[in-house]
Amino acid sequence: MNAPTIEYAELAPLITIFGAAVIGVLIEAFVPRKVRHPVQVAVALLALVAALVQVILLAGTGMVAAVGAVAVDGPALFLQGTILVLAIISVAFFAERRLEAGGDAFAPAASTLPGSEEERILVRERMLQTEVYPLALFAVGGMLLFPAANDLLMLFIALEVMSLPLYLLCGMARRRRLLSQEAALKYFLLGAFSSAIFLFGMAFVYGYAGTLRFGEISEALTANIGQDGILLAGVGLMAVGLLFKVGAVPFHSWTPDVYQGAPTPVTGFMAACTKLAAFGAMVRLFYVAFGGMRTDWQPMLWAVAIATMLVGAVVALTQTDIKRMLAYSSIAHAGFVLTAMVAADQTATAAILFYLATYGIATLGAFAVVTLVRDSGGEATHLAKWAGLGRRSPVLAATFALFLLAFAGIPLTSGFVGKLSVFTAAIDGGAAPLVVVGVIASAIAAFFYVRVIVLMFFSDPAPEGPTVAVPSLWTAVGITLGAAATLLLGIVPGPLLDLAQQASLFVR
Amino acid sequence: MNAYAPILGLILLAAVFAVGSVAFSVVAGPKRFNRARLDSYECGIEPTPQPVGGGRFPVKYYLTAMTFIIFDIEIIFLYPWAVRFDHLGVFGFVAMVTFIFLITVPFIYEWRRGGLDWD
Amino acid sequence: MTFPWLTTLIALPALGAVLTALVPSGRGTLAKQVATGAALVTLVIGALISIQFLFDVDMGVEAETYEWIPEFGASWALDVNGISLALVALTVLATPIVALAMWHEAEDEKRDPKAFFALLLAVEALTLTAFLAQDVLLFYVVFEAMLIPLYFMIGMYGGPQRRYAAVKFLLYNLVGGLAMLAAVIGLYVQSIDAGDPSFFLPDLVALDIDTTTQWWLFLGFMLAFAIKAPLWPFHTWLPDAAAEATPANAAFLSGVADKVGTYGMIALVLPLFPDASRDAAPVIVVLAVVSIIYGALLAIGQTDMKRLIGYTSISHFGFIVLGIFALTGQAATGATFYMVNHGLSTIALFVVVGFLVSRRGSRQVDDFGGVQKPAPKLAGVFLFAGLSGLALPPLSTFLSEFLVISGTFLRYRPAAIVATLGIVLSALYILWLYQRTMTGPVRPAVEGMPDLRTREVAVVAPLIALLVVVGFFPKPLTDAIDEAVGPTLVEVGVEEPEPLAPVAEHVEEGTGR
Repeated sequence: MNAPTIEYAELAPLITIFGAAVIGVLIEAFVPRKVRHPVQVAVALLALVAALVQVILLAGTGMVAAVGAVAVDGPALFLQGTILVLAIISVAFFAERRLEAGGDAFAPAASTLPGSEEERILVRERMLQTEVYPLALFAVGGMLLFPAANDLLMLFIALEVMSLPLYLLCGMARRRRLLSQEAALKYFLLGAFSSAIFLFGMAFVYGYAGTLRFGEISEALTANIGQDGILLAGVGLMAVGLLFKVGAVPFHSWTPDVYQGAPTPVTGFMAACTKLAAFGAMVRLFYVAFGGMRTDWQPMLWAVAIATMLVGAVVALTQTDIKRMLAYSSIAHAGFVLTAMVAADQTATAAILFYLATYGIATLGAFAVVTLVRDSGGEATHLAKWAGLGRRSPVLAATFALFLLAFAGIPLTSGFVGKLSVFTAAIDGGAAPLVVVGVIASAIAAFFYVRVIVLMFFSDPAPEGPTVAVPSLWTAVGITLGAAATLLLGIVPGPLLDLAQQASLFVR
Repeated sequence: MNAYAPILGLILLAAVFAVGSVAFSVVAGPKRFNRARLDSYECGIEPTPQPVGGGRFPVKYYLTAMTFIIFDIEIIFLYPWAVRFDHLGVFGFVAMVTFIFLITVPFIYEWRRGGLDWD
Repeated sequence: MTFPWLTTLIALPALGAVLTALVPSGRGTLAKQVATGAALVTLVIGALISIQFLFDVDMGVEAETYEWIPEFGASWALDVNGISLALVALTVLATPIVALAMWHEAEDEKRDPKAFFALLLAVEALTLTAFLAQDVLLFYVVFEAMLIPLYFMIGMYGGPQRRYAAVKFLLYNLVGGLAMLAAVIGLYVQSIDAGDPSFFLPDLVALDIDTTTQWWLFLGFMLAFAIKAPLWPFHTWLPDAAAEATPANAAFLSGVADKVGTYGMIALVLPLFPDASRDAAPVIVVLAVVSIIYGALLAIGQTDMKRLIGYTSISHFGFIVLGIFALTGQAATGATFYMVNHGLSTIALFVVVGFLVSRRGSRQVDDFGGVQKPAPKLAGVFLFAGLSGLALPPLSTFLSEFLVISGTFLRYRPAAIVATLGIVLSALYILWLYQRTMTGPVRPAVEGMPDLRTREVAVVAPLIALLVVVGFFPKPLTDAIDEAVGPTLVEVGVEEPEPLAPVAEHVEEGTGR
C-alpha cells in the first residue's frame, strides 16, 4: 500500500471548516475571555463564507476524491452550498446577544448543575460561553461530509462527527436547563443506539459486497445473485440509522423532545441542516449503492413515507407548544421528501434538492421568529401565549404567517413549488397513492398551521402576554432574508429549480 | 453458515455460564441477612459515607477515563502507520504529524480549561 | 409588441393593493380613496378591453404568453374569450361598487381600514388572473392564493362568529384545493408521458387521456370547484361566511370570487376531461337540482337576513352548475350569463341589506318592520334587488334563468321541471322577506330610519341600471358568450340536441316571443 493521492482542491471546503473548528478550539484555550466572542464569531463566519466560495468555485465537478472515499458531484455540492448558507445564518442567530437579559441563549457553563451555586455565580458575573462556535463548525463539517461520502466508513464517520457536537449543543440552553439536558441525553442515547444499528447494517453490507465503496457495492449487486439475506438485512439496518437522523416514523420519537428542549437557535440549525445532510446521504446511498435493488427497498420507503406523513400531521394537531408543533411538522415534511425518494430517478433527485433548500430556509426563519416572542421566563413557547400577536406586532406575525403558509404549501410561497416538484416526481415514478396520502396529510397539516395564524391575528391578546423583543442585526437580517427567499422562490423559482436540475446527477 | 457456528457456540456458552452462575448462586447460596454483605464494596476499607439521597459520582473520574481513551486510541492509530511508514513517504509523515497535532489541540484545550487539575 | 392589455388589467389592482397598504396608518380616508381610485382605473381598462369583444372594435387585445417556470413548462399565459370576458367585466364593475359600499364597514373594528381595502384589491387582481389564465398551474396558484386575502377579510372584519366562519371557509376550500393539486400534478404527468411537459391549457386540452385517469383527474378538479361554487353537499361554508363577513365583503365573495369555481367547471373541466364530464353529467345535474331546491327551502326559513341571501346564492349557483352540465349550447350560454347577472343581483341584495344592518344594528328579520314608510327609496331599491333575485322579466336575471332552464329541458327534462320549482320558491323567500321587513306597521325602532344617502345611491344606481339595460339589450354580451361556448361544447363532443320548436316555425306562426 502506497501513499494515496488526495485532491486537496476538491476537498477544500471540508478542510476549511474543520481547520476553522480546530482553530476555534485553540481560541477557546488561549484567547482572553473578553475578546473571545468577537474572535470566535469572526472565525466561524469567515470560515463558512470561505467554504461557500470554494463550493461555488467547484461547481460542475463530477468526480470521486480521496481514493473513492468522498464524492464531489452535483448533489454533494448543492447540498454543501445550501448547508453552508443555512449555517452562516444559524451562526448569526447564535451570536444574538440582545434578546436574553443574561446575555445569549446558551448556559454560561454547561457542566454546572442546574440550580447550583456555581451556576448562580456565573450568571451573576454575566459569564458567557463561546464553545458553541467550534462545536457548530464541527457539526457543519460533518454535515458537509455526510452527503458527499462515497464510502460506507466515511458515511459512518461523517454521521458521528455531525451528531456528537449536536448532542452537546442541545444541552446548552440557558433557560429550562433540566429540559435541555434531558433533550440532550435522549438525543445522545437514541442517536448512539441508531448509530450502532447503522454500523451493524454496514457490516452486513460489507460482508455481502466485499467492498465499502458505493460504486463497487452497486457492481456487486449485479454480480452476486442469491445470498440476498445478508444484503437485505444490511440495507434495512442502515435505513434505520438514516431514517432516525431524518426523523421518519417510527424512528421519530426523539424529534419533538429534542427540538423543544434544545436552545432555539440550535433547534433551527438542527432542523434545517441535519435534515439536508441526512437526506443527501440517504439519497446517495440508496440511489448509487443500492440503486440496482430498488424493487426491494421501495416498498419499505412507501410504508415509511405514508406513516411519516400521517403521523407527523395528525400528532401535530394535539400540540400546545410551538416548538413541538414545528417538530412534528418537520416530521411530516420528511415524509413528503420520502415520497419523491421512491421514484429513484434524476427528476426525483432534483425535486428533493429543491424541496430541502426551500424547507431549510423556511424552518430556520420560523425558529428564529420563535426566539423573538419572550416573557419573563424566557421564550414564550406555549401556543396560548401567542394569541393576539398580530395586533401587537403585525410585521412579526405576518412573517411567521408567511413561514407557516410556506410549510402548508400555499401557492406563492416556496413551499408550494417544493411540494409541486416532489409530488410530480412521485407520480412520474409511479407512486400516485403516496401523493394522495401526501395531499391528505397536507390538508390535515393545513389545519394546525391555520390555527396558529388564527390565534395570532383573530384572537385577543392574553392579559399578561409576552412581548416581542426587538432583535439586533444578527437575527433581523436572517429572518428578513428567509422571508424574502420564501416569497421570491414561490413566485419565480426558475433559477433554483434549474440549479437543482443541473446538480442532480450522481457520480458513480 | 459453517464459519459462524463456533461463534454461535461461544455465545451460547457465555450465556449459559453467566445465567447459570447467577442462578446457581441464587439457588445454592445461604440466605442469611448480614448488614456487612449489603454494604458497598470499596476494596476492603470502610466505605466512605455518602450523602443522603445517593452521592453524586465525582465527574473527575469520568474526565480521566475520557482523556485516557482519547490518547489511547491515538496510540493505537500509530501502530499501523509505524508498520507501513517506509512506503508512505513524505505524505505519510506529514499526515501523521498533522494527526498528532490535531490530537494535541484537545489536550491543550483540556490543560487550559483545568481538566488536568485533580480538584 | 402591442400593449399588454391583459397583464396591465391584472397589474393595476395589484399595484393599487400595494399602494393602499403603503398609506401611513391613521389616514384611513386616503387609503380608501387610493383603493377606490385604483379600482376605477381598472374598470376603465376593463371597459376598453370589453369594447373589443362586445362591439367588434379592434383595440389590440390579444393573448399574452411569457415564460414563468420553464422547468415545469409553466408560463404566464393570458387570453380572453367570451366566457372570461363576461366574468372579467363583472369583476371590474363590482370592485369599485363594493369598495364604495364598504366605505364605513371597516370602522367598527379598532383596526386600520386600509388593510380591508388593500386585501379587496389583491383579491380582485387574483380573480382577474384566474379568469384570464391559460396555464393550469397559473390558474391553480391564484385559485389557492385567493383564499388567503379572503380569509383575512372575513376574519379581521366581521360579525361575532367571524373566526369560525373564516377558518371554515379557508380549510374547506384548502381541502378542495389540495385534491385539485393532486389532479393538476396528475394532469402534468400525463403531458410528461406524452412527451411534451407543459401546463399550457390548449396543449393539455389536446392530450388524449384514457378514461380511468380522466375520471380521477375530473374528481380532483370537480371537488375543488364544487366546494368553491358551492354545490350541495359541499356548501356548508357559505352561509356562515355570508352571515359573518361584512355585507360588502359577502357581496364580493359570493358575487365575484365564487364565480371562479363555476368558471373552472366550464373553462377547465369540460375541455380537459370530456369523457368523464359526459359520463358524470347526470350526477352533477342531480346535485345541482338538489342545490337549487335545498338552497331555496332553507332560505325561506332564515331569520338572519345575510344568511338568507347566502342560501339564495347556493340556490342560484345550482342553476349555474345545472346550465353548465346540461351540455347544450343554450344552457351553457345561459349559465355564463347567469354568472354575470347573479353577480349583479347578489351584490345589490347584499349591499342593500348592508344598509339596513348598519342603520338598525341587527341582521335579524324580526328587528325590522314597515321600513318603507320612513325610507321609501331604500325599500324601493330593496324591492328591485329582490325582484332581480327572483328573476322577474324584463330584468336580465330572467333571461339567464330562462336560457338555463330551456337549455336543460332539451336534454334532461325532469331536471328542468324540478328546477322550475326553484323559481317559485325564490319568489316565496324574496317576497316574504320584503313583506316582513318593509311592509306592515312601522316598528318603533325603525321610525327614524334615514333614507338612502348619496354614497349609497352611487353604489346601487349602477347595479340597477345594468340589470335593466342588460335585460333589455343583452345581445352584445350573449353573442360574445355564444362564440366561446360553441367551441367548448365541441371539445366535450356532445351533439347539440334538436330544438323543440325551431325558430322558423314560430315566425311563420306569428307567435314571435
